[in-house]
Amino acid sequence: MDVRSRLCEIVGADNCSDDPVQLRIYESDFSYTPAGAANYVAKPASAEEVAGIVKLCNENRIPVVPCSSQVHFYGATIPKEGGLVLDLSRMAKVLEIDPDNRRVRFEAGVTWGQLTRELKEKGFRVIMPLTPPAQRSVLTDFLEREEPTNQVYDYGEPLQAMEVVWPTGEIFRMGSASVNGYPDSPSKGGNPSGPGLDFYRFFQCAQGTMGVVTWTNLKIESIPKRDKILFAPIDDLDHVMDFLHRILPRRIGQEVLLLNQVDLAAILAEEWPGDFTRLKDALPPWTLILVISGLLRRPEEKLAYEESFLDQVTRNEFSDLRLGENLPGFPGLRNRLLPILRNPWPADVPHWKNRVKGACQSLFFHTRPGKAQQFVTKVNEIAARYGYPGQDIGIYIQPIEHNRACRPEFTFFYNPADEDETATIRALYREAAAALLKEGAVFTRPYGDLAPIVYERAASYAAALKRIKKVFDPNNIMNPSNLCF
Amino acid sequence: MAISKEIYKALEAVVGSQYISDDPVICEGYRSGPGGYESGLGYERVMTKVPGCVIMPRTTEEVQRIVKVCYRNDVPYVPYSTGFYGSRSHPHVEDALLIDLKRMNDFKLDEKHFYVEVGPGMIYSPIQEECMKHGAYVVIGGGGAQASAIANLIGDGWSPLSHRIGLPHRRILGTEVVMPDGELLKLGSLAEGDDPFWGEGPGPDLRGLLRGYTGLRGCLGIVTRMAIKTLPFQPERLEPTGISPNTALALPEKRVKWINFVVPSKDAQVQAMREIGHAEIAGAVTKVPLFWRAIAKAECKEEFWDLWSKENEETVANFFIVRVLLIGYTSEEQMEYDERVLMDIMSEVGGIARRTKPSDESWIKNADSAGMWLMCGGYVSVDYVIETLSQSPDHGPSYADLKRKYTPPLMPDYGDPGWFQSFELGHQGYSEFLVYWDQDDDTNPVDQFYVDTSKMNIKNRFYTSLLGPHQPLYLTGPQYGPNYHEFLLKVKNEFDPKWKSHPPVPLAHDVFVERAPWMHHMKDWESPDDLPK
Repeated sequence: MDVRSRLCEIVGADNCSDDPVQLRIYESDFSYTPAGAANYVAKPASAEEVAGIVKLCNENRIPVVPCSSQVHFYGATIPKEGGLVLDLSRMAKVLEIDPDNRRVRFEAGVTWGQLTRELKEKGFRVIMPLTPPAQRSVLTDFLEREEPTNQVYDYGEPLQAMEVVWPTGEIFRMGSASVNGYPDSPSKGGNPSGPGLDFYRFFQCAQGTMGVVTWTNLKIESIPKRDKILFAPIDDLDHVMDFLHRILPRRIGQEVLLLNQVDLAAILAEEWPGDFTRLKDALPPWTLILVISGLLRRPEEKLAYEESFLDQVTRNEFSDLRLGENLPGFPGLRNRLLPILRNPWPADVPHWKNRVKGACQSLFFHTRPGKAQQFVTKVNEIAARYGYPGQDIGIYIQPIEHNRACRPEFTFFYNPADEDETATIRALYREAAAALLKEGAVFTRPYGDLAPIVYERAASYAAALKRIKKVFDPNNIMNPSNLCF
Repeated sequence: MAISKEIYKALEAVVGSQYISDDPVICEGYRSGPGGYESGLGYERVMTKVPGCVIMPRTTEEVQRIVKVCYRNDVPYVPYSTGFYGSRSHPHVEDALLIDLKRMNDFKLDEKHFYVEVGPGMIYSPIQEECMKHGAYVVIGGGGAQASAIANLIGDGWSPLSHRIGLPHRRILGTEVVMPDGELLKLGSLAEGDDPFWGEGPGPDLRGLLRGYTGLRGCLGIVTRMAIKTLPFQPERLEPTGISPNTALALPEKRVKWINFVVPSKDAQVQAMREIGHAEIAGAVTKVPLFWRAIAKAECKEEFWDLWSKENEETVANFFIVRVLLIGYTSEEQMEYDERVLMDIMSEVGGIARRTKPSDESWIKNADSAGMWLMCGGYVSVDYVIETLSQSPDHGPSYADLKRKYTPPLMPDYGDPGWFQSFELGHQGYSEFLVYWDQDDDTNPVDQFYVDTSKMNIKNRFYTSLLGPHQPLYLTGPQYGPNYHEFLLKVKNEFDPKWKSHPPVPLAHDVFVERAPWMHHMKDWESPDDLPK
């Protein structure tokens, strides 16, 4: 029996295909990664079907490219060595919402749009990255360590216990979901760690190279009763970092982020390109956005002590910082921005990153907050050499873990139909990545062109990764030609 | 194979003659026990050996060179820092090299970026003191302030403060590990440069090799350097008071305060913990065993037994306390807010605040391990598991039931169901069950009880901390995951194909069951014939 027939046996004829027309939708994404064709696509509906497919592929040395989202930005799901696209979009069930333990369990194909909608009905929310596309997989975003805009929780990482299919086809539950008979057990999957090793760590930022995660447990939080969104126009990045060092360790705020005028304009613009251009010209170089919230109990009192603290700090130590409910010159912003921060980017509106010129390339990393300005200067210098104006670069800085670190993200917008421009952006991206790495930027998610640059520097780490990969994926079938595999 | 003169000289060349010895008198000092965690049990008697040689490196490079010499010459070795885990931390085979890491006690604090960078010889006590001087704090695990911070972070690493701070795994930042063959693996930001401030990646996160839910006891390499994330505290000074052993930290009451509540029932305890978590307040929330109160009050063993013998099944069954630590992280106003919310919750569940000393005797300062030996001499925590508040409150009673069968030699504790608490603002729940025994008794039933707890957890579908090397791997392996043991052993074989890093861990408890005749009737699981004998 040929591969296609066996796939049909596993998932049904309607859910697998080798038709080039159907396969075309997996060939490319919003990144400049060259297109790549798969030989098959299969759409399983259960972990057992995933296991069957992966086992079949392992026996036949067929590359497997897991694909959970319906929109992709980094090229990680483009087949680079042919093989099979494992489209997990049919695995889209929210399996449990557990209000007592503030936990949700859901499958890989569940999107931001779906999950936020279902949780909202129960009074819960997921702390989320900045404007995740509604049709993107929530599980993928957390596996890939997208940073949430809310950093007030000391415990950080929201992922809890999950289920995977190893590259050799075994189904395996991790952490406290590993008990026999789960979920029919007192153990609910609240702990991601163990058994034996912290296997879940190997799946983080693995771009589907270590196996297939079929469902996960995730922490959820109550929706605040009251919110107040505050803004401050910022000229001096170092100065605002000092301010954040002063307030965030005191556990002030929920969502906290910094956007330059390009990114904020792209997020806010409604009429294109008029709105975008007008806003970009009028907005301050940087805008600090800080949301303070009253939670389930005595919400007004919680808001009051946070405001009181902020008032004291700004009055006594940062009197030049104009932190208020309005960004001067932009009335009504507070009513518009909070829903944007608390909801996925709507599926029927092109994502703001792609509205500017059709496509974009983002360079992001972790660093100490005090070095952010240095990196901004460096990227501007390199961009200028490529004829890319500094005032056109989108910059988003996410303070992390009470501002002990931050994650700058530089976005270069380009027209994907223009080959020269695409090539220029690619060259600019690579040079900037190499230069920033040399200056101490920490790249934890090396996609595409970034991978060889990072792993050349992290050689011992790459060597150990390859050994781990060999243990779990002896035939290197899982999404080959990504990372250092 | 004994360590030959040639190998000894090669090792001596690494550290100098002052820091290596095979003198039997010196090596005897590294015998497991007497006293300490799990001391005197069958595992210690059957599995531990006096090392053939002891070496004390100072740097990562020295550790690498030592391990490479061992690997080349087939010398088994065991990393050892402060040895809280007693018998589990000592050599299990004859003529092993014990690598004592106490000289690797470097310490650097980065106040602004909330981490400390330490070697494996650095203990918690000075770390906490220095952190608090600079507006931060750490969780001192149950092993106590005298325990190596690195060993604790890759083994356990929690306390009641984990209500706010959370799982220890998340606090491991840039780390260096000397792998079993001597190769150096740098994790997190150290993989890409010299700055240890970040813990992840690049790409798949190899911090997964450092531990499972609980640790690997040195069978997969030696951590020689680690940056540990600290958490912002409040700015007021906590003043040390008292004369040893009755020391405490006087708390600035407007910024740090313990309040003990008596609540009417266990349901009320759980409800209070959940609501405190949902309200996102407090720095710690816990319920501890009643006999800890007797430990805290007693200054000697006799006094403990005087106090404890006044209790009975009824008093234990009706002891419902919730201990809450409020911390004014933001300001005095924030703490007042937390207290108002707390009082609302307690009013709803029927809790009554009791007069509570304005001091901290244990969890901020030093954890409590030293007191655990007071009553009987022998102590072990048979489980300490983070799951949810759905599992935690029911977990202890199942232990208490099983324990009756093994009492004595276990200490009569009137059916006390142990300790449970909230973790990560109620997203998780924690349960810990501790047992004590008189070392002069026949302790074989304690060994049997220990393995029986695994069977109980498997049967009742509880998650448990005692997986990996802590119980027979072939007993727990097929039942969790399933078959996590197969993947763990594959990783072990890949990185330590000669099994020289603390052999026969992670199969040591399997070997113990094979070697100890009083354990044979317990064995109702399959294991391969080629286990190390």
